[in-house]
Amino acid sequence: MNLSFFDQFTSPCLLGVPLILLSTLFPALLIPSPNNRWITNRLTTLQLWAFHLITKQLMSPLNKKGHKWAIILTSLMVFLLMINLLGLLPYTFTPTTQLSMNMALAFPLWLATLLTGLRNQPSISLGHLLPEGTPTPLIPALILIETTSLLIRPLALGVRLTANLTAGHLLIQLISTATTALLHITPMVSALTMMILLLLTILEVAVAMIQAYVFVLLLSLYLQENI
Amino acid sequence: PAAPAALRSLPPPVAVGVLHATRPLHTTQQHLAPLPPLPEKGGEVRHGLIPEEFFQFLYPKTGVTGPYMLGTGLLLYFLSKEIYVVNHETVAAACILSVIIYGVKKYGASVAAFADKLNEEKVANALAMKNAAIKDLETAIEEEKKEQWRLEGRSYLFDAKRNNIAMLLETNYRERLMMVYNEVKKRLDYQVAMQALRRQKEQDHMIHWVEKNVVQSITPQQQKESIAKCILDLKALSKSAQAAV
Repeated sequence: MNLSFFDQFTSPCLLGVPLILLSTLFPALLIPSPNNRWITNRLTTLQLWAFHLITKQLMSPLNKKGHKWAIILTSLMVFLLMINLLGLLPYTFTPTTQLSMNMALAFPLWLATLLTGLRNQPSISLGHLLPEGTPTPLIPALILIETTSLLIRPLALGVRLTANLTAGHLLIQLISTATTALLHITPMVSALTMMILLLLTILEVAVAMIQAYVFVLLLSLYLQENI
Repeated sequence: PAAPAALRSLPPPVAVGVLHATRPLHTTQQHLAPLPPLPEKGGEVRHGLIPEEFFQFLYPKTGVTGPYMLGTGLLLYFLSKEIYVVNHETVAAACILSVIIYGVKKYGASVAAFADKLNEEKVANALAMKNAAIKDLETAIEEEKKEQWRLEGRSYLFDAKRNNIAMLLETNYRERLMMVYNEVKKRLDYQVAMQALRRQKEQDHMIHWVEKNVVQSITPQQQKESIAKCILDLKALSKSAQAAV
């Protein structure tokens, strides 16, 4: 089939049946749930080790009340990681390239942290709007700036993930199109472009993992301020 | 209350232990332990993707090269009939697949070794605990045996202690006996000394009295006479003594 550059970003549909839910939930099938064995097989052992590492890493800066968020943050991390990495395979649809999905993840979680802070410790939460040690004339301006920065957080979270993944996928498409087009004209330049594509693919793998980590890390930071 | 005799004589109803879909459920007790062991290794795969059973399945009819011919034929069929179109995604697929295969080949063994090490540590910890418990119990057994051995020597210990005490008592008794003897001797010495003193005093007194009386009884007349006698004696003696010198 002949693809344009944006066919990979359209929500998948089969005979008119939208498959977006299936494509979003599919990565969960790839994570085996541990059975009640004491010594598990290699995959389950590695998976348990990785989840312990992630949870410990995310939860150590938080106080005890923040540990209630352990499950949602760890599962969010694994979810984003799997979706991003699977999206690098050819002909796959990456749900996190859709702004709607990322905003749907970022906005409620950020709002939850904000409301938790405002409800339980309002003065401390509002106190974060003014960094320590600012000179007195700057205070009004700084409060406005910090408020703007606070309100733009969910937008930043969502758009960061979307933009990174979309840009990466588009770049892969473009460079591979260039490679294919140049193959019959100048094979050497095509080979060079292929090298670039190889490096880009490695970068994309790294970006996929880093973006998932950054998303969850920022959420845990916002939580740290407010809980 | 038990069912009436008429009902008990009937065969049990078919529904006992049998679902209506004829699938028996819960007919035996639950098996909680031991679970059957997991297989040591995963299923055999060739080229990391295709299970070995597929090759074995085709072997009787098509030999060793069968599955490879099938694969090549299918691939060429898809390509030539443009069921699979070669487009830019193919190039991207080649890249990502080469990255994945390179990663698996390079780090696969070490990751597997790491997972095995994690499991190994878990088992080693449990074994260490078990061995420590066994060792503690063995030490306790040794200690108990030693205590039992000590028990056998208990009589000797008590004999020695008894002898010790008897010796102490004896010593004490002898000391007190000695003390009694010394005290009695002191009293008797005192009496003896008293008697001796009295005797001495009487003697001295008597001598003194005798001397006093004798001295008093010497009249002056007697004194002159004795002195004159002495002088005569001396003269006589001097005459005889001159010769000796």
